[in-house]
Formats: sequence, C-alpha cells, structure tokens
Amino acid sequence: MMRSMLVLAGLVFGASIASAQQPQPGDKGGPGLALLTAKALVASLEGEQVVDHAVILVRDGKIELVGPRASTAVPMGYAVRDLGALWCMPGMIDLHSHVGGSMDINEMVYVTNPEVRVRASVIPENKEFQRALGGAVTSVLYIPGSGTNSGGQGILLKTGLPKYEEAVIRDPGSLKVAQWGNPERYLFGVGKTWENWHLRHMFTQGLAYAKRWEAFEAGKGPKPKRDMRLELFRELSAKRTQVSTHTQVAQVVMMTILMIKGEFGIDVYIDHGEFGGYIYAGLAQQMGVNAILGPRNVDVPSRSMIDWVSSNPEKVQSLAAGYVEKGHKMVGFNTDAPVIPQEELFLQSAVNVKYGLDNSQMTGVRGHTIVPAVTAGIAHRVGSLEPGKDADIVVISGDPSDPRSHVELVLIEGRLVYDPQRERRRF
Amino acid sequence: MKLAHRFRALGALALAALSFLAPPAFAQDGDKKEGDKKDEAAKDKKDEKQDEWFAVTGGDVYTGTGAVLRGATVLSKNGVIEAVGHEVEIPAEAKTLDATGQRVYPGLVAINSNGLFGMTSGDFADSVDPYNQRMLLALASGITTAGQSNTALKLKRRDIKNVVLRERFLATLSFTNSNPSGKLEWVEKFDRAARYLREYRDWEEKKREQKDLKEPSSSGVDSTAKAILEGRVMARFNATRRGDLLEVARLAQRFGFRPVIDGCVEGWTVADELGRAGAYAVVTPRDRRDKEEQLVRDGGSSIENAAILHRSGVQVCVIPSSTGVDLGGIAGRDILHLPIEAGFAVRGGLSDQAALESITIVPARLLGVSHKVGSLEKGKDCDLIVLDGDVMHYQSLVQYTVVEGKLAYDKSAELFYAHIRPRPSDQLAPEARQDKGESDEKPAEGAGETPGDKPEEAPKPEDKPEDKPEDKPEDKPEDKPEDKPEDKPEDKPKDG
Repeated sequence: MMRSMLVLAGLVFGASIASAQQPQPGDKGGPGLALLTAKALVASLEGEQVVDHAVILVRDGKIELVGPRASTAVPMGYAVRDLGALWCMPGMIDLHSHVGGSMDINEMVYVTNPEVRVRASVIPENKEFQRALGGAVTSVLYIPGSGTNSGGQGILLKTGLPKYEEAVIRDPGSLKVAQWGNPERYLFGVGKTWENWHLRHMFTQGLAYAKRWEAFEAGKGPKPKRDMRLELFRELSAKRTQVSTHTQVAQVVMMTILMIKGEFGIDVYIDHGEFGGYIYAGLAQQMGVNAILGPRNVDVPSRSMIDWVSSNPEKVQSLAAGYVEKGHKMVGFNTDAPVIPQEELFLQSAVNVKYGLDNSQMTGVRGHTIVPAVTAGIAHRVGSLEPGKDADIVVISGDPSDPRSHVELVLIEGRLVYDPQRERRRF
Repeated sequence: MKLAHRFRALGALALAALSFLAPPAFAQDGDKKEGDKKDEAAKDKKDEKQDEWFAVTGGDVYTGTGAVLRGATVLSKNGVIEAVGHEVEIPAEAKTLDATGQRVYPGLVAINSNGLFGMTSGDFADSVDPYNQRMLLALASGITTAGQSNTALKLKRRDIKNVVLRERFLATLSFTNSNPSGKLEWVEKFDRAARYLREYRDWEEKKREQKDLKEPSSSGVDSTAKAILEGRVMARFNATRRGDLLEVARLAQRFGFRPVIDGCVEGWTVADELGRAGAYAVVTPRDRRDKEEQLVRDGGSSIENAAILHRSGVQVCVIPSSTGVDLGGIAGRDILHLPIEAGFAVRGGLSDQAALESITIVPARLLGVSHKVGSLEKGKDCDLIVLDGDVMHYQSLVQYTVVEGKLAYDKSAELFYAHIRPRPSDQLAPEARQDKGESDEKPAEGAGETPGDKPEEAPKPEDKPEDKPEDKPEDKPEDKPEDKPEDKPEDKPKDG
C-alpha cells in the first residue's frame, strides 16, 4: 500500500530526474508541493516541535507552511505526495566535518593559519556527501584539520547539491581554531600554555586590524594596508562568522570560553567537544558559548584505560548529559568525519541518550538540526521545518536517532536529491 | 528482587558451585545411588547437593525462537532452564528476580571477541580472569557467551569452572583469487580427503563379506580437509569480494560442507549462490567499501547486505567492527554495542527477529553451542538478560544479567551505569527506605505500588562484600597490555 503510493507519487515526482529541464514540484521555478506526513518533527528552538498528521507545503525551494492536515488546505496546482506512515524532519547539520573534498586541508605552515581556506579543496556532492544523504545529513561545516592552532577557514555546504555555487551556504563558514589535542604535532614539547599564547597573539593582531578597517570605514582613520593574513578578522569582528574551536578537555574548554569569547568578544562555539569539557558547561551557557560534541560521546573511568581524560568520572558519562545536567541548553553533535563516517551523525545522539541524555524534549533531534543551525548562524535558512526556510526535508521511517530507522527521501531546497525507490539504498 | 538465600554460608555456596557446574557428575551420582551405596555417605552427598533454583518472574520473555510470553517465568534448576511459561511452579527455596514490566531475552552471543577474559594464555581453562573489568562491561552489555581464538567461552564472573564450552571448531582457510596456488592446493586436499572418505565407507561396507580387504590408506590425506568434510570442524574463510565469495560458494557446494564467511561485504551480489552453499555469513552491517570504479556490475558494501543474505537462506551473524571493549570514548562501535550493530542490519531491511537471532542463536550455532545457549528453551543453560525495553532499541540498558542461573550483573549494584535512569527502587537511599517503612506502617504495602516500585529487600551494602575489593587491584596491571592494536587508533586524539 505504502509502496504503491510511493511509486505512484514517484511517477509524478521523479519522472523528470531524467529530463532536468522541467523544474520539479517544490523545486525553484516549479509548481508547489504538498507533503502529507504522519509526523513532522518541526524542531523549532521554541514552541511546539512536533505536528502529527501534518502537511508541509513547499514552493520555490522554500517551506511555505507546516500545519495539521485537518486545518490546512492544499492550494490548487500543488503536487500532493502522501508519505503514509513516514515522518519528516529537517536535514541534519554537522559542524565538524573533513570530508567536503580532497583531503589537503591540514596545512601545517605556521602555528596559526587564519588565511588558509578550504574552499579550494571542495568537491561538491562527493562520494562521502552522497552517502551522507542516506544518513539524513544535508549540511556540513567543512573545516581544516587541527594540526595547528588555527588551520584556516571552514565553509558551510549543502551535501546534496552538485554545483559549488549552489552548495555553499556561507564562506567563510568559520575560523577553525584547535586548542590542544592535536596541534602539539606542530612541534614537539609544546603544551596548552604555548598554544594559547599563539592564539591570543593571533586574535590580538587580527582584531586590531579589523578595528583599523572599521575606523576607516567610519571615516575616522587612514586607510589601512590590506593584510591577506588577517582579512578574516573583519568578518569575525562584524559577527558575520564564528570561531569553531576544536576544544576537548576542561582546561582548554575554559580557555575557549574565557579567552575567545570573554577576552576578545568573538562569537565562538565548542566544536569537537569531548572528555571533561562539561565541567565548564555552566560557564559556557552563561557566556553564550554553544557546545557541539563528538566524535567521543562518553567519558569513561580512566582507571587502567585512558590516562589523559581530565575528569575521570567513576562511571560511564554521556558528554551531552554532562552539559545538559549542568544547565547548558544548546547542545549539538558532530562526527569529525571521517573519524566517524559522515552518515552516522545520528548515532551520536543515540549513544548519548543511551548513556544518560534526557531525550524527552527531542534533545537528540534538535542537537542535529536547530542547535547547530543557530550555532553557526544559519538558522534563517536551515535547521527546522519553519516557513521561509530552505526546504531541506528528510523523510524517515521513524525516530531519527534509531539505527533501525532508514531514510526514504531527501529534498534539498525542494529538489529531490535522494530516493532509494529509484536507486540502491546508500545507507 | 528477593535474594533471601543469597547470603547463605559461603562454604555451602562454594560447595554447591563445585558440584553443580559439572552436569556429567549428576549422572554419575545417580548411578551410584541406584547401586548398593545406600549408606550415610550417600546421604551426606545428597545434603551437600541441594538443588539451586532461580526464577525470573513477571517479565515479557522473548525466547529468541520467535515466541514472546508476556508476564512469564523462566525457572532455572542448577543453572539449566527447567521451565519457561506462565503456570510455572516455583519451589519455595528458589531465589527470585522480579522482572515485571521489563523484558527478558537470551544472553547475547558474540562470535568474535578479544580481551573479555583477561590476559589469557593459549589455554583459556587455566588462564581466564573472572574478575576482569572488561568481562563485567561485556556482561553489562548483555553478552554471556563469546568466541575468542577458536574457543567458545562462557562469561562467568568470579568463577573459573567450565568456562570453556568448546575448542578448535573452526579451521581458517586461505582461499582467494589473490593466491591461486593456495586455492588449487585446497581443492586438491579436499579432493583427496573426499576420495579417501568414499573409499573408507566403501571398505566398511564390504569388509563384512571380504574379511581380507585392506583398509584404504589415509597417508597424504589432509587432516583439516578430512575434519571439515566429516563435519567435525567448520571451514572459515575471510572473503569480501564477489569473486572470492563465488569461489568459496562453489568449493563448498562441490564438496558438500557449509562455509563460514567472515566479512562477506559483497555477499549481497551473490547471495543466491551463498544460500545454496548453506553459508554462514559473519557480517558488520556498517562495513563501508566503495565499489571498484572500473566495474559495471554491482559491488561494494550495502546496508542491505544482511537482509539480502538472510532472504537467500544464508545464516547471518552480526559482529561490530571492533571486537574488543573500546574505552577510548567513541561508544557505539565496539563489542559492547552488539544490538546497535544489529540495528543497522534492520535499517537495511532485516526483520527484528532475524536481527535478534544474528546476535544470539546464529553465533551460538557457529560456535557449536546452540544446544546450550542462544535461546530460552527448556534444557538450555539459563543465560538471560533483563532490559528496561526492546533489546534492539538504543536507549535500553541491561538491568540484570544471569549466567547459568546466577546473577552475574546488576546495573544498580555496579559502578558504570547505575546513575543512568535509575530504577524506581534505587532512587531511595537505604535510610530513606527504612524511614518510609517505619512511618508509613502497613497500608502502603501493595496499595498503588507497582511491583517494580517495591524497595529492595536485599540490602545493597552487603552485596558480595568479599568480591568488591578484589575488582580493583586485579584490574589495573592486567588490563594495560590488553589494549589491542586494533583499538589503539581510537584512543588517540585525532582530527583527520
């Protein structure tokens, strides 16, 4: 029954994957599309997060409306696709990914390399991205590695769009900073104090540069000499992008918060958050530093196991639960792909829930969608099923955190980019 | 949970354990009793060997055979299941475990593992460490039987008796297209062994009439090939590519044995051939392998692999990519997450039941111990787990693990997971429980309380007092060298 409906709809819907000239319903320039779904996980930051028996109206690549079927009229001319018992959710967002293109993204030239851009290595719709669609991931922050204290500028990309200019959500997506855990490779014998000194040096220089330009633009100073190395700091100073910090143990999470946010006032978030970082969850919440956690998802007793965990709880501790229990409200998840395969992003929330994260407020789903969207400053486009946002919609057979649920369809900006009825299941 | 008899004199317990753990001994005793020894000695012996009863009551019992009995009882006598059902009479002296509102499943079986039994030498029977922390973690994840180094082992805490269930049941054959001469060698070995077995059977038949007929010579017959053809040993292959898989399937069909195939990544492309060969496939549903680019046909990994193999009659066994206990912090991919790995097979279309079988009865068959473990049936070992939900759901946690009719793990009594979604009875501190009992007097009893809410009678603090201290000192030195290279990479910080 379900299947035949899908096939039927597929006739209307998918016929022109072959003839790409005619825009599909929902796509830019095409007619409207109405998705009938058993459950829409709206995933808004506030308010009702689930609509049962919902209609989602999509037009020109944007979401027009999400409402209960009983009280929502489907406008004339809209293609209707009944998804039966399937659910809909916003596409997932991964704010720590290294699989956006060729792997030459760890340029260990200087101690800090804020001028380096991963843009040059992007391969849109690459193999990893194609697989990621099977795991409901539609947006990623593709960032440099953490071989140095600052690896360069990341880029926010959509996974399922084939052209670079379509796929880019924002460039620069972030300035990648790495505080301990990897940059020690740059030289041997260096530690947290040395690394933080270099970061402080970079931020001081960079913000001074940005201020000179701001003064010039306000007519209050001479025109500064352009410095390619520090150009990015104008973006950071104007809060058009953020710092994504690879920060793991409690000591450096504290420095992320106190130095980058406190001392320099730059928008920053904990990225690749691990180990005992949750000790500073209260401070992070207070200072508005969001926490994106992974690929490690639990903290374990270090006894005879792993010695450099800073917290050493005498139990298995979900990291996200650690943050949430200390009052942090903006907790999300990342994979660090390829450390964890890009398509397995959802498992990060599953494992955290298994080991203690309270999932009653859809913490898992929101940590994959609206939280990272707000964190990266792209919530006006992605992260929830709300009117005006990009129609990045994942159709899934059940709880998105459950490995047993499978993705049945993916739309990005209203365009059908993955349909396992028409090809082999990618994941 | 009532464990009234749990703290019986230690000596008696030890004696009981000594005598109960060797089933053949019962038969012997029986013989003796029937004989002329009706004297005091026999009577003493009888007193020593009181039957040990253990009952898990009220849970929804998922037997693993497909049957689900809601609110049923599993009764164990001396570590063996005596009954599974609703109208089970529980002897008065039985220890009982109340599983009302929870689910009961057979203990999970991991086909491959490493490190669960401590620093073992080649001989497990002499070197198993029953206080190993990793064994405790594995029990907490629901595993009660595991394979390691061609040995099937029972996870017994604080007990080293009869840990080894079976040994040397697999022969690993190198049979791949990348080694053509090795392949040819095996074909010749099987050919020779098959010929010998034919001649031997022939001789056995004819020698009755022709007394002087010479027994065929077994010289030059490969003993491994012979053992495989006789069904005494299973042939195991490491094969992932379609070409290799086809070769294995044809070899097995030609010589009539059931191959065990580890990896089997491209199995879905030749599932019908593997099904015809009666193959066992040990798969990791999350395996990732790109299709070779120059190939036109299907290839590479597929999330549907397990489901397609199962549909074609292949016995599917699931194992995570890491067979050790990985405590580097990236949870969800090691031996402690068998059901999650099986969940990925469900994602690819495998039924819930087949997925459960892939981590219980199928690996038990592969280990050759399915007559004892892998499902909850009368006559099998009473190895079971009690969970707060569906064993396949990521949120479910093992509450109790029972191995051979003895409680081997209690979530609320151990370090690791006690704080996570504590059971209602755990949320009251011991003093609070007492206070409540005194002030509330009688009426609270039973009124509006679900059985699960009942405060535990067995006081926690005296829980195995003599075992606790031993856990710590023993683990530290022993676990260090256990870090296997395959777990290493995840122990280090890295960032691609």
